[in-house]
Amino acid sequence: MWSRISYTLRETWASFQRNITLTFAAIITAAVSLLIFGLTLLIQHGFDNLLSKWEGGVEMIVFVQAQATPEQRSVIEGALNQQQGVIIDSWRYCDVECSLAEAERLFAGDPSTLELLTESNIPTQFKVVPTEGTTVETLRQLKLDYQRGLPNVYSVELAEDQLDLISRLQGFVGLYTTGLWISLMLAATLLIWNTIRTAMFARRREIEVMKLVGATDWFIRLPFMLEGLVQGLIGGITACGALWFINDRWTAGVSEFPQDSGFSALVVSDGYLSTVMLIILVFGALVGTIGSGTAASRFLNV
Amino acid sequence: MIRLENVTKSYSTDVVALHDASFEVEKGEFVFLVGPSGSGKSTMLRVLNREERPELGAVWVAGRNIVDMAPSRVPFLRRNIGNVFQDYKLLPNKTVFENVAFAQEVIGRPKHVIAQQVPAVLDLVGLAGKEHRFPNQLSGGEQQRVSIARAFVNRPLIMLADEPTGNLDPTTGEGIMRLLDRINRTGTTIVMATHDQRIVNSMRKRVVQMDRGVIVRDQARGVYD
Repeated sequence: MWSRISYTLRETWASFQRNITLTFAAIITAAVSLLIFGLTLLIQHGFDNLLSKWEGGVEMIVFVQAQATPEQRSVIEGALNQQQGVIIDSWRYCDVECSLAEAERLFAGDPSTLELLTESNIPTQFKVVPTEGTTVETLRQLKLDYQRGLPNVYSVELAEDQLDLISRLQGFVGLYTTGLWISLMLAATLLIWNTIRTAMFARRREIEVMKLVGATDWFIRLPFMLEGLVQGLIGGITACGALWFINDRWTAGVSEFPQDSGFSALVVSDGYLSTVMLIILVFGALVGTIGSGTAASRFLNV
Repeated sequence: MIRLENVTKSYSTDVVALHDASFEVEKGEFVFLVGPSGSGKSTMLRVLNREERPELGAVWVAGRNIVDMAPSRVPFLRRNIGNVFQDYKLLPNKTVFENVAFAQEVIGRPKHVIAQQVPAVLDLVGLAGKEHRFPNQLSGGEQQRVSIARAFVNRPLIMLADEPTGNLDPTTGEGIMRLLDRINRTGTTIVMATHDQRIVNSMRKRVVQMDRGVIVRDQARGVYD
């Protein structure tokens, strides 16, 4: 058993050194494609953060001043209940705790603004889901009515005003980055495939002898597959390093953007970054194994 | 040890390499396959090694019909068959010792077994003391001896030799034949394809003659023609 493991590792290392230029090209392509894949995930996550306050079909938010009394909130609730079943399908109240949690997501990249928001000054929110078929014009009229007629209302926001641009931006960025990483991932797989094919072709005589003396296909295939796996993993590790660096620089840079630019939500927490890095490593390993595995199987008859 | 039953193998509609070929080889026999180029000798050896699959017929090797054998079992069949070629098929970047050890390494023999068996077989083929030479530092006859050592190191039941003296001068060829005869005496069955009339006539072993894929003569203690 040990002699087989030692043989596999020795052959993998020897092959790695033999094809250094092709190997390097395959690793770089894998790293770039995996980096773009990781960036796509981070960007999408940032957009999700930006849109999180509109989750669950919410299309209108009534922000209430922190100093509003329970009686004044009851007046607002009464006004919402009055429209229930007509314009409003449902509504829910997002209290101080809920609003603070949401602010932490929205201002993740803007700690100075976040510091200013406290339990005593953060506006609470009524999140409104309109009935199906309600037009934007009706909601705009309702917005005006609430701003003018309800007590201690800080502001009323409509999803329509924010969602359209953000959704379009998300779709645009998502489409192009996804297209790019899929193309590059394919290129990386093909490059690894080609590296392994070249390595096998260079060793075709050796493989022929191996087959004639009774080596199993798996025994022949394994060092090549391991080589592809290592290429994919090195690409993945490189991409993880680059992703961490870019995210670090972005997070540091976002705090310098204007407060109302909306970019502060496009910051990714460490937990999600670790998950993305793990996904990148798995993808890297998969790309390497699939590329080399198909090449090794296809060219085993050399 | 080997039995072919009505074996037909063709490479295209008009190239029939073997046509309805049947013959049997007993354990420990030495058989010459003779015939002109294109008569089907090499195809016969490739069929016996399961490098080719016939369209029709059955090929029994060591009690198993290898025509229907699952591809995953073929390597285990080949561990019982040694192969010797006209062009030696040695690995130029490996030494004599490494070339022979390679046949044991790839089937997972432990290092201490390799260290024991390789020098013994090199001694048998007359290459003791040349373990560390590379193939390009050896004569043709010596290279063929390495090839035979590699084929024999796993003590196969059968040895298939395709024109093993084809690239050698007569004297060196005779030396190789003496070596194959010696291996045959250990009980290994040998099937050898050859054009070498002198060798066949001097050895007086069984001769199977082929012509355009058909076995036209099967003669015990035979001569070339």
